[in-house]
Amino acid sequence: MNIAVCIKQVPDTETKVKITEDKKWIEEGEINFILNPYDEFAVEEALKLIEANGGEVTIISLGPDRVTSAIRSALAMGATKAIHIKTDNHPLDPMTTAEALAQVLREGSYDLILLGKQAIDDDHQQIGPILSEKLGIPAANVVTKLDINGDKVLAERQIEGGFEKIECSMPAIVTAQRGLNEPRYASLKGIMAAKKIQIEEKTVTLADDNIEILEINYPPEKPAGKIVGKGADAVPELIRLLKEEAKVIS
Amino acid sequence: MAEKKDHPSFTKSLFSGVFLDELVFPYPIMDKEEEENLNLIRETIHKFCEAYVDSAEFDRQEKFPDDVINGMKELGLFGLVIPEEYGGYGMSTTAYVKILEEVASFDGSMALIIGAHQSIGLKGLLLYGTEEQKQKYLPKLATGEMIAAFALTEPGAGSDAAGIKTRAVRDEEKGLYILNGNKLWITNGGIADFFTIFAKEEIDVPGEGKKDKISAFIVTRDMGVQSGKKEEKMGIRATSTAELIFDNVEVPIENLLGERGKGFKVAMEILNTGRVGLAGGNIGGSKFALKYVLNHVKERHQFGRPLISFEIIREKLSQIALRIFAAESMVYLTTSLIDRGDIDYSLETAMCKVYATDTLWRNANDCLQMAGGIGYSREYPYEQWVRDARINMIFEGTNEILRIFTTLSGLQERGEYLKKIGKAMNDPIKGFGLLTDYAVHYMKDRLTKEHIPDVHPILANDKSHFEEWAKNLHITAERILVKYGKDVIKKQIIQWRIAEAAIDLFGMIATISRVDQCIKLKGEEDCQKMITLCKAFCSGAWRRVRRNILMVDKNQDHHLLNISDFIAEDEGYKV
Repeated sequence: MNIAVCIKQVPDTETKVKITEDKKWIEEGEINFILNPYDEFAVEEALKLIEANGGEVTIISLGPDRVTSAIRSALAMGATKAIHIKTDNHPLDPMTTAEALAQVLREGSYDLILLGKQAIDDDHQQIGPILSEKLGIPAANVVTKLDINGDKVLAERQIEGGFEKIECSMPAIVTAQRGLNEPRYASLKGIMAAKKIQIEEKTVTLADDNIEILEINYPPEKPAGKIVGKGADAVPELIRLLKEEAKVIS
Repeated sequence: MAEKKDHPSFTKSLFSGVFLDELVFPYPIMDKEEEENLNLIRETIHKFCEAYVDSAEFDRQEKFPDDVINGMKELGLFGLVIPEEYGGYGMSTTAYVKILEEVASFDGSMALIIGAHQSIGLKGLLLYGTEEQKQKYLPKLATGEMIAAFALTEPGAGSDAAGIKTRAVRDEEKGLYILNGNKLWITNGGIADFFTIFAKEEIDVPGEGKKDKISAFIVTRDMGVQSGKKEEKMGIRATSTAELIFDNVEVPIENLLGERGKGFKVAMEILNTGRVGLAGGNIGGSKFALKYVLNHVKERHQFGRPLISFEIIREKLSQIALRIFAAESMVYLTTSLIDRGDIDYSLETAMCKVYATDTLWRNANDCLQMAGGIGYSREYPYEQWVRDARINMIFEGTNEILRIFTTLSGLQERGEYLKKIGKAMNDPIKGFGLLTDYAVHYMKDRLTKEHIPDVHPILANDKSHFEEWAKNLHITAERILVKYGKDVIKKQIIQWRIAEAAIDLFGMIATISRVDQCIKLKGEEDCQKMITLCKAFCSGAWRRVRRNILMVDKNQDHHLLNISDFIAEDEGYKV
């Protein structure tokens, strides 16, 4: 199998985000960047598939120089090839990113294209579906279980209130949801091996972004908590408040 | 080798009034590729520990689970310092110590298992092993198939390591040594399969006849090493600390490590390097404790305000940060000296160990204090940090011995130098009086401002304090040699003060160099936090140096020694 995994480098979830003065972006200086956690599921799944069926995994990532460290993370897990689509920064418009990825994906003959269901920074959840459209191949989104049978892809998807099983034929796109697998830890051996892999660099002409960020704001501050009372006596009042005020139980 | 004669030592030279600026400037920066690898490794360790390492539970169980050790082996944590050609990862000392720091922030026992394996357990093999020995053992040690331990201490030989009684008898015919004796407090003692052990053997010394000398050996579990029961300890309870029993253990002659009779040097060399790993681990512990207690002092309200709004709490928090900053600056300056390979770093590693372990103890204790009653409760991690921190001031050379070692090595260097220039004199110690004038001139020539590279103007004041008190350290060292002669060896309270001064001076120059480098790379604006930390540290440090140096002459020592005499006589406090 020839599998491509598209990954994105995102700020660490533990990062305390600071918005820039013009409110258009965030301060990147002190941010620790990581491999997008949903993409990690995609990498793991790809590795499991080639371990079972043979083949090769190519990591593809678009972004500035710093994204090579996310690529190395994916390589350290066990992937053996990588393409870095070099740009000055991450486009704001998922359409722009997807178009660039599609150009590079067309150059390889991939049986399967895996990616996380969304990036945890801008949360668009669009790259998978747009790629499907651009490449003219089926996409299974938000997948929690994946099986390959011949050239068929059997995917279980999480939908509101339940699961859906779908089947499509390869080549196909699959976007990974939490629960698909438990990503492996990169071992030191993997990290050292990854160091020796040459990352192929590609340049593309990016289309203009069709969206613009008007403003980024912090979420409203959480109101202070309330201590209802102490011990068992406080329980009835707590339940009443949870029902009537917070409306989190019924 | 840490202590090779022709290798320069920053601190020994400072005692002699010579400032070897090229050893401390510019502050080392990590190679970009290694840093990238290191970040990946840290990330991996972070995920692994979050998933599998439950420090409090391991502490309660007094056991580090086998499956977690196996996971650590799979990650590669046992082969960090072993060269790639033997199946390891060939990391620099700096990278290795940073990894220990990361691990220690999750669990002290975990850091110790890896540290005892690599910093000391297999270090002798790396430093002194023959090619055959390395080929035979390093690949297995790298995967963790064999876990290593270092076994020097005995029931009757702790700080006085030369007093060991374990005996090795050489049988040329059989090509064997027969080992008999006991080793005590051996970290990894119950789980290790590979031991670097020290024993005395009788050696023919030309012109002196038969003499007992210490030799070092590689002994593996299958040769018949037995472990006594696992010690029940105050802290780092998940580690296996055990007695080792050697009852007619047959060790092939080819397992001799280094030269016959040179085992003491092997042991000291291993410890000289190994200590810095411990220091790094302690920094990790301090950082984690600070991060944790910050949540508490922000959340907890008293008198209608969060604790963090009170000055007395803020001061404690800041002092912890200062101590972390200083320890970090010293440790990673020292690891880079080790990685250079041609430096005598024996005093710097000792000072790093003393400072980082003393300060982890204080930091953990301060965090517990800020948490109040909660800190004392076993439901929270504070009390475990304090318990875990305590051992660090005792093992791998007690902090007392290491202070004495620092001062005496510094003075010895001076003595040897003076011996060289005063060839006519038979007794270099007695010769000091005659040479004092010369020495002061020599010092004035050498330790002048133009010999210290220009640092950023914002650090000028701190630099001049360093210069002034470094000179004073040197003058004091010379003066006490003159005053006490050979008796200086007995003056342990003075040695303590001088060591304290040397540590603070090393801390000053390490922080100054680090901040200077930061400003050069990023500009003043982006180094504000570091500048503040450096200034706060240096301003406290030079005052402590002044106090310690003044107290070399003006002190209450005679009273103290008198008191100790009468309480000993009275068998307690009776007035």
